[in-house]
Amino acid sequence: MIGAPLSATSVLDESASIVRATASPWVGLLLVTSLPYRFMQAVFADRLLELGSSASQYGDTLRMTADLTCVAFLLSLWGRAVYARACRLTSASGSAPGREALRVPLAALASYIFVASIAESVTYMLFITAVGIGVGAILSGMAIGTMELNDRPGVIAPLRLLSRYGNQTRIVVALSFVFFCGFVIAALNVATLFGGCLALVSTIGGWDASRWHILLSFSNRRYILMVIAGALLVIEPFWIAANVLLVRKAGVTESGDDLRLWFEELKQS
Amino acid sequence: MAQRCAVHQQRAAFAVCMQCAKSLCQECATQWDGIWYCAACLTGRRAGPVKRSRAGGWIAVIAASIVILFFTTRLMVWAGVLLAGLR
Repeated sequence: MIGAPLSATSVLDESASIVRATASPWVGLLLVTSLPYRFMQAVFADRLLELGSSASQYGDTLRMTADLTCVAFLLSLWGRAVYARACRLTSASGSAPGREALRVPLAALASYIFVASIAESVTYMLFITAVGIGVGAILSGMAIGTMELNDRPGVIAPLRLLSRYGNQTRIVVALSFVFFCGFVIAALNVATLFGGCLALVSTIGGWDASRWHILLSFSNRRYILMVIAGALLVIEPFWIAANVLLVRKAGVTESGDDLRLWFEELKQS
Repeated sequence: MAQRCAVHQQRAAFAVCMQCAKSLCQECATQWDGIWYCAACLTGRRAGPVKRSRAGGWIAVIAASIVILFFTTRLMVWAGVLLAGLR
């Protein structure tokens, strides 16, 4: 049952408790399935940065990396679908689901892969603009939120659902802003974690700490890419849970006023 | 102002059908697999779609996904090369 009326804060509040409830094992599954995708994205970005302006001469290598990233993307979509189902079952029952979370309806999964692929291509199309990543993230969030509402395969129905639940513009934009801030904080935490571990390990004798200080510094672009990938991994469970809850809450108009009216009707009858 | 049930106008809305977006009172709303539906949409779900249209839907969604994924990888390379060239 949904507790509070639809608002950005209520979505964030309830998504935090859902992530806590689904942490074991569903957040773990999400992280394990997302890890190869984020790693491949980091590898692709690293190759591009390495090649620089001569990247156009290495089309085959880049295409092969992009194809592998696409395979990892499909695996991550399955992980996200299972996790989104676990979130929905948790919000409906109040406790973490068992193996039933794995039984994602095939039609819903196929529709989700279709919409998520569109979101991904929109991200790359608009990548050069300032809003590209934001638009892609919102589309991909709405895709996972509406996934389980697709009961039959098709190309029109998932897009229709996306437009229906995407009209909560104010809340969607507010959530995106909060998650952007969350991403920055997560990145700082991941970097601090690496730094803290390095400082602890430096105290152990015989450890080649000086080499690791160079590797784990912001002058190393691979380290920066890994911190970004790590921050995305940290924030992903919260983002998916928030979108699943947003769609569910948009379908329930329960509020204090509604309950008061209903109670008055009960008294009169 | 609270919303009203689409069937019983005198009652306050309790939920919204996740399929047709109609406002529903407690009597009209039915939760199935954790999702609220109206009676008509729930009947439609339980009856199941016509087999032929389902096969068409599968072919369409799989073909569209393959095409889009193919172009996504190409877009990834093109956008990357473009950005790398700007550096």
